[in-house]
Amino acid sequence: MTLESTAPASAATSATTPQPGPGARYVGRAVQRVEDPRLLSGRGRYLDDITLPGMLHAAFVRSPHAHARIISIDPSEALALDGVVAVYTAKDLEWLGPMVSAGPMREGVVAQSRTPLATAIARHVGDPVAVVLARSPYLAEDGRDLVDVEWEPLPPVLDPLAALEPGTTLVDEALGTNNISHLEQSVGDVEGAFAEADHVTRIRFHSGRSTAAPIECRGVVAEYEDRAGGRYNVHSSTQMPHLLRMLMAPVLEVPEGRLSIKAPDVGGAFGLKCSMFPEDIVIPAVARLAGRPVKWIEDRWEDLAAGVHSKDMHCTMEIAATADGTMTAFRGHFVTDAGAYSSIPFTPLVDSQVAGAYLSSCYGVQNVAYAVDNPLTNKCQIGAVRGVGWVPGQLAREVAIDQLARALGKDPVELRLQNMIGPEVYTTPFGQTYDGGSYTASLEKARDAVDYAAFRERQAEAREEGRYLGVGFSPFVEPTGWATSSAAAGGLPNGFFDTASVTVEPDGSVTVTTGLHSHGQGHETTLAQVTADELGVPMESVRIVFGDTDTSAFGMGTYASRSAVLGFGSIHESAVQVKDRLVRLAAAMLETDHTDIELVDGAANVKGVPGKSVPLQQIALFGYFGGPARPDDVQRDGLTATSGYSPGETYANGCGAAVVEVDVRTGQVRIEQLVAVEDCGVVLNPTIVKGQVAGALANGIGIALLEDLAYEDNGEFVSGSLLHYLYPSTTEVPDLTLHTIETPSTVSVGGVKGVGEAGTISAPAAIVNAVMDALSPFGVVVEKTPMTPEYLRELLRAAESNGSAPAPD
Amino acid sequence: MKPPTFDYLRPSSVAEAIEALTAYPDSKVLAGGQSLIPMMNMRLARPTALVDIGRLDDLSGIEANGSLKVGATTRQETVLAHQDVGGRWPLVTSALTHVGHPATRARGTFGGSIAHGEPASELPAVMLALDARFTLRGSSGERVVDAQDFFLGHYTTVLAEDELLVEVEIPDASGSAWGFGEVVRRHGDYALAGTAIRLDTEGDERITQARVALFGVASRPIRSAAAEERLVGTRLGDAAAAAAAGRIALSGIEVAADSFVSAAYRHDAAAAVVERALLEAASRGRGES
Amino acid sequence: MESRQGTVAVELTVNGEKRVAAAEPRMLLTDFLRHGLGLTGTHVGCEQGVCGACTVLVDGRPARACLTFAVQVEGGCVDTVEGMAEPGALSDVQQAFRAEHGLQCGFCTPGMLASTEALLQENPDPTDDEIREYLSGNVCRCTGYQGIIAAVRRVADERKAASRDA
Repeated sequence: MTLESTAPASAATSATTPQPGPGARYVGRAVQRVEDPRLLSGRGRYLDDITLPGMLHAAFVRSPHAHARIISIDPSEALALDGVVAVYTAKDLEWLGPMVSAGPMREGVVAQSRTPLATAIARHVGDPVAVVLARSPYLAEDGRDLVDVEWEPLPPVLDPLAALEPGTTLVDEALGTNNISHLEQSVGDVEGAFAEADHVTRIRFHSGRSTAAPIECRGVVAEYEDRAGGRYNVHSSTQMPHLLRMLMAPVLEVPEGRLSIKAPDVGGAFGLKCSMFPEDIVIPAVARLAGRPVKWIEDRWEDLAAGVHSKDMHCTMEIAATADGTMTAFRGHFVTDAGAYSSIPFTPLVDSQVAGAYLSSCYGVQNVAYAVDNPLTNKCQIGAVRGVGWVPGQLAREVAIDQLARALGKDPVELRLQNMIGPEVYTTPFGQTYDGGSYTASLEKARDAVDYAAFRERQAEAREEGRYLGVGFSPFVEPTGWATSSAAAGGLPNGFFDTASVTVEPDGSVTVTTGLHSHGQGHETTLAQVTADELGVPMESVRIVFGDTDTSAFGMGTYASRSAVLGFGSIHESAVQVKDRLVRLAAAMLETDHTDIELVDGAANVKGVPGKSVPLQQIALFGYFGGPARPDDVQRDGLTATSGYSPGETYANGCGAAVVEVDVRTGQVRIEQLVAVEDCGVVLNPTIVKGQVAGALANGIGIALLEDLAYEDNGEFVSGSLLHYLYPSTTEVPDLTLHTIETPSTVSVGGVKGVGEAGTISAPAAIVNAVMDALSPFGVVVEKTPMTPEYLRELLRAAESNGSAPAPD
Repeated sequence: MKPPTFDYLRPSSVAEAIEALTAYPDSKVLAGGQSLIPMMNMRLARPTALVDIGRLDDLSGIEANGSLKVGATTRQETVLAHQDVGGRWPLVTSALTHVGHPATRARGTFGGSIAHGEPASELPAVMLALDARFTLRGSSGERVVDAQDFFLGHYTTVLAEDELLVEVEIPDASGSAWGFGEVVRRHGDYALAGTAIRLDTEGDERITQARVALFGVASRPIRSAAAEERLVGTRLGDAAAAAAAGRIALSGIEVAADSFVSAAYRHDAAAAVVERALLEAASRGRGES
Repeated sequence: MESRQGTVAVELTVNGEKRVAAAEPRMLLTDFLRHGLGLTGTHVGCEQGVCGACTVLVDGRPARACLTFAVQVEGGCVDTVEGMAEPGALSDVQQAFRAEHGLQCGFCTPGMLASTEALLQENPDPTDDEIREYLSGNVCRCTGYQGIIAAVRRVADERKAASRDA
């Protein structure tokens, strides 16, 4: 991995002992991760590592049909099996509240209600209809085999465009429509711009169906404690403990105070674990019914068939342009194949709406319009998965821009630069306000990273030899720090509340609790870096606590690249209060004015008077036990503060570039070089940022070339194994070229912006553009992902038989 | 995904193994388990008994005097690492580097990969290309079957329910030119189309005998009679002959269309791998690789 | 002929120590290690032998524990991540993964470490291509593999330097 940074960040990869000095000591440094020793030695504690005494194991009976009426469920043979303890169906769970997907706080979104186990109709392959409890997971599956379900298959709705037509079969009759939401927005004179355009480019693009597929699947361990009114303890492999509690409590019919969600170490999530699923409700409910703790571990088939799917979107993209290459209007229509249920809480709008609402991206186009539709189909629900709708939106727009460049005879980099916004704060036509960025700089850096001019020469030479190389670019803007302001600006208004507690313990060590969550992002480290700098303490004395609603301050969880902004901000809000009290205590102890005190390296010093200092441990003891000598607010509030933080809108940006070679005989694509330029504002830990970008790029390669969740014409799901759903492995992800630029946010605490999804957003379009560039002698038009060898051969075969292919050697 | 219940039998001799297969009608042989156990975990295979032959010394071992004799339960990695195999049967070694991954080769057996009958796996096609002979032993005794006659269809071979593949014999192939190629989505995956090729020449490199074995294209590994006929009499390395052989490689063969790829794709992919493997065979030389 | 029907005691040497636990023939080695012996460091990602998260060493060779019945390997030796270093310490391979950011969520990591140990035993000085090929059966969804390749490279270089200086 070629690493380079244009910011004054440290180059050390193994620094754990920082150099002393005022100001930031840890933020910006490549500190080794605090989480690593336990994870490396196999001492992480993940969901399936949890065992409770008397625990039973659950296996779900699921629909093999895409759409079917449940005629009867006969558990008798299963119950007769030694070791099977119980079988429950929907009628055993009628006491629960409904699972409701209400969607964002706006009009135009249909709310959908469901029962956690299907009552009368199963709506997708994998829809759960019953659950078996047994003494071991092996016996639970044996029992599952013996549950006899009589089905009446119904015609499945599989074509999302057809599902929008009036009079078509309804996936959920109670809704009276298949369309969860039709939204439109138009700014400027879009019609006029298209009417006056010298050139209109119009493309269609079908972004394929992929998913998060973390190596650790989902899981729930629940027990119901029948004391003091009853209380659920739920261990869940989730990204969002408090939000999950909020969503689950009304369904379980308990006040939130009687539901505890505990997320242990989580083995990756990428959005799989930021929805509320039927299993999240069923397992606690049947633990209560059975009077025993219950564990359910999702298996890989269930994960692929019945977790969340993502990004399946039929896009139409139009660009109006003048002859000289100025893009005057964008117009897009985005239809998300929403699956059978509107996922809770993010709904399919997390794909369609974000594709539309951010359409203008880093370009100065002022006339922009979009429409989105979200038809239900008899497939797995769409959820929020890494990159969400920004991925298909990016594909549609960037592929169209390359097509425009080809049509106008312009260089694709030049055309983009010509239309790009400047680095200043900028408000888009739809009203999003970017907090400064490096749009042209990142595209130029990406261009330089692939040695563009030299590449074009190499490309020409290769073509003479019958080899097809191509290059593609994909500049992007990514909303990060997703909270109330960003959500409102994106047309998905919802309230967000994120807090952190900062506590100085009696011995001077620091405990931070946060409503964020870490499942690979290293927040135990980066948030400790932030805290240590805020309070001037050594990092080793800081502990970051999260994951358990009983012990962590409230927050909305980690997804949408939000944690750097929310974490830094909320810790700052709380730390500032605690620091102020520490400073005044120290001033009293050192008999000086509080303006003379600085906190450095775990002690309070008097500026300019070496030797006049008191360690934090003594200040803390004074703060706790110093009696009436302490300031009033310290006596009342102690050395702890819990505060919330609501950021303004922050936007990361960057550019992806890909150099590929296409084997035109077999349709295979080899990625020769994949570049990511990332500007996520001030960097907390450069190693962690690079890791996030690299992982996201690998996911982007998967989306472009490998990952596909497919249904047959009869609704059968054929991608339920890892032999069909293909992860990029070491041989599909080359050495990556990663560059960073740091344009500090003008809006957030510390100037951070957030990272996590960028490579997933940029890479697919860069790779598609590179393939189309490679195959431009054939005139092929790529209209979907993944670009499988089969698909590319199909396009090439058509070109060959049209006579539009170059003569073979 | 947990497997269903089965009885576990560990015979201490080949004869006991055969007795067990006979006594337990729904039993299956367990050698490396790398193909069988995933199917059992997914409950696609539900044998009520497994006969574990993985520790039978009689079935393991490599002899390379003249012909190559490989005991059926020899681990794939052992064959891969064997000097004589690499020296005189490089087609076998080359194919093995594409079979799964190190962890599956450490447990998977040479015979298991052949007897499983997966049409997209590499070794069966290599056996066809090298005219291998398989020694089978069952309750009615021992017999030797040519590779050409062994594979019947998807997961189906001539092995009777009470028969074990005991040994694979591959005649001396030094002096032959060879080629190997496959189209896979990722390294180690099952092939969408693949070929194992062995060519004998005389004098001025004219091809006297060709074996063009294909895998991943039909319901079983299969030789392309059309490609082989086209090649005989041509010079090793002749580009036009290689291209022609590739183009007709699937004639007369019922090409599979499945959840992975279409028949049309297999035609294109097979043409490419056959042509390229033929050209590589020429540039590589023969025998010692 | 030995036969097992139903639950029996299965004995293995795990990380150098004789261990025994009850197992039916169908019990996968993953479940035997994790739930029979409480060694939860070996993880389960697919139970079909594709992701490699469950990789351990069996008799010194890499094996996918989800494609192995415990009873198949009884009497043999299994090495898991818990045995790679003394409690509180990290082996050179583990330290290299830390230094090069070769892990994020940690779930694939024990299997990745086992495969790395096996690779370096077979090939102490692998090229980057050889590293990629050897580890292609261990999937990571977090890192994009950059830190992993760098970590393996780092250990190989360190061990080479150490043996030169020895």
